[in-house]
Amino acid sequence: MTLLEKPRAEAGEDRPRPRPGLPLSTRDRLSAIPFLIGAVALVGALLLVPFIATVYQSLTRDNGFTSTFIGFENYLNLLENPTFGRSVLNTLMWTVGTLILPVGVGLLIAVLTNSVPGGRWLKYVFVLPYALSGTATAVIWGFILRSDGALNQAIEFFGGEASTSGWLLSWPTNTIVMIVASTWQATGVTVILFMIGLQAIPKEVVQAGELDGASGPRLFWHIILPQLRPVTVVVIGMSIANSLRVFDLIWLLTKGGPGASSETLAVTMYRQTFILSDYGTGAAVAVVLSVIIVGASWFYLRHQLKRG
Amino acid sequence: MTLRIIRNVLFYALAVVWALPLYLLVVNALTHAANYGGAPSWVPKGFGFFDNLATAWAESQLGYGMLNSLLYSSASAGIAVLAAGMAGFAVVVMPTKRPTLWFWLIYLGTLLPLQIFLAPLFSSYVSTGMYDTNLGMILIYSAICVPFAFFIVRNYLTTIPPEIPEAAKLDGAGWARMFRSIHLPLIRSSLFAAFIFQFTWVWNDLLFGITLTTSPDRRPVMAALAEIDGGFSSFGPPVVLAAAIVASLPTIVLFLTCQRFFVSSLRAAR
Repeated sequence: MTLLEKPRAEAGEDRPRPRPGLPLSTRDRLSAIPFLIGAVALVGALLLVPFIATVYQSLTRDNGFTSTFIGFENYLNLLENPTFGRSVLNTLMWTVGTLILPVGVGLLIAVLTNSVPGGRWLKYVFVLPYALSGTATAVIWGFILRSDGALNQAIEFFGGEASTSGWLLSWPTNTIVMIVASTWQATGVTVILFMIGLQAIPKEVVQAGELDGASGPRLFWHIILPQLRPVTVVVIGMSIANSLRVFDLIWLLTKGGPGASSETLAVTMYRQTFILSDYGTGAAVAVVLSVIIVGASWFYLRHQLKRG
Repeated sequence: MTLRIIRNVLFYALAVVWALPLYLLVVNALTHAANYGGAPSWVPKGFGFFDNLATAWAESQLGYGMLNSLLYSSASAGIAVLAAGMAGFAVVVMPTKRPTLWFWLIYLGTLLPLQIFLAPLFSSYVSTGMYDTNLGMILIYSAICVPFAFFIVRNYLTTIPPEIPEAAKLDGAGWARMFRSIHLPLIRSSLFAAFIFQFTWVWNDLLFGITLTTSPDRRPVMAALAEIDGGFSSFGPPVVLAAAIVASLPTIVLFLTCQRFFVSSLRAAR
């Protein structure tokens, strides 16, 4: 839900300001407090304070009862931990996978919807799963992917060799099939966003392209796609952020296993903290994840918006 | 011509791939759990949906979960939207000092991954007696919902011409009165869009549900569904799938009826 938005370094600058030279009375300044207090108190007490606490906790050895300050030891330990390396690799696979699949399929569906017969109604098949939660998606795909699940059954029906170990028990298959499951759920929103983008393209632009002799794929590639840039920036930014946060699906389908093989950073943090009670390491993973998310979205959007 | 055929085939093939999980979900949720032969059915066999549901209801208190989530989603989204609307008013309309600082202070919450809040919330909830309480859940969900709602409302408020509050000011209206009778009605639709969006988000959340609650009569619906999913083999898949359908129904209905508002809140976020 987040990161649809542009980072606004100049936030608040584009709003009406009181005329210069009109000094604000103290009373006027204080009058904003009752309006701000609700939002600031909620965010401050329940998000910002825990955030700072986690950053501090990542510098301690903490088992939930006692805590000692150890500097950057947790981070150094992470670097040598093969499980953490696997977790980073999986997170990377999720990011690349959700960049290619939901964005690509979503663009394809949005473009084809209006030209394929019945497309207007069939698009709901793609949009509907977006209304499902990650938990419900995991329930459905668990049913499909288990060793006695629907996928193996279908493979055997067509005379193929079913995967006896199930699809979720070995790496990298488990990560890949979960990315597919996530694609099934997440494509709906990219379809919606691309359709909004397509509607916003001025008819004259397309007509001008057609007059110049462009049609079919060429029209799409040279005329329509460049016009979709602003939406694409939003969709990709959103996909990156969401792929880095995915938790429900993995937690229900594999619990990150077997043997932490399908963990992403979001799952590693949860297991270190709440299953292993290693609060310091869990906090360090959470900090690494935050740095990656904030950094990636900042870098990506900054770069894109500058070019756009 | 061939291009058109390829295009159509591709589209229909993808539609089938997308529809199959939904089809299997419905067919197998309808199959009576007792008649489930150990393998997924591809054609409807009888109608045992309500019996499956009754099992889920009895074994994991899915009903409590639904009620709790209804409470958490509506209360939190409501509180968040109101708080966000007022803060947006203070930052955009009122001559507040350092509006940019306030903006980032409130907005920062939405950039960070939820994992970074979890452990300190858990320990402070345990030590203040807020762990596993309705109040605790409403508070954390409200806080999570504030930044994004704030963002939507703030963007919308900037589109209101400054002449309107200035005229009201000249007429002698105080800030509270101006907010209530001028801005609140004007931003109603963006508040509603934010409400729908946040309601859905809270309803679908699992992470806080399994971290900050434990008892069946306090936990939200997705935590209950996750527990039912853990009993996949003992209850049988039809029970789990039926529970998944019922747990998802409110957000599906909301999504389909309020699609316009979803779209406008996504748009506002651009």
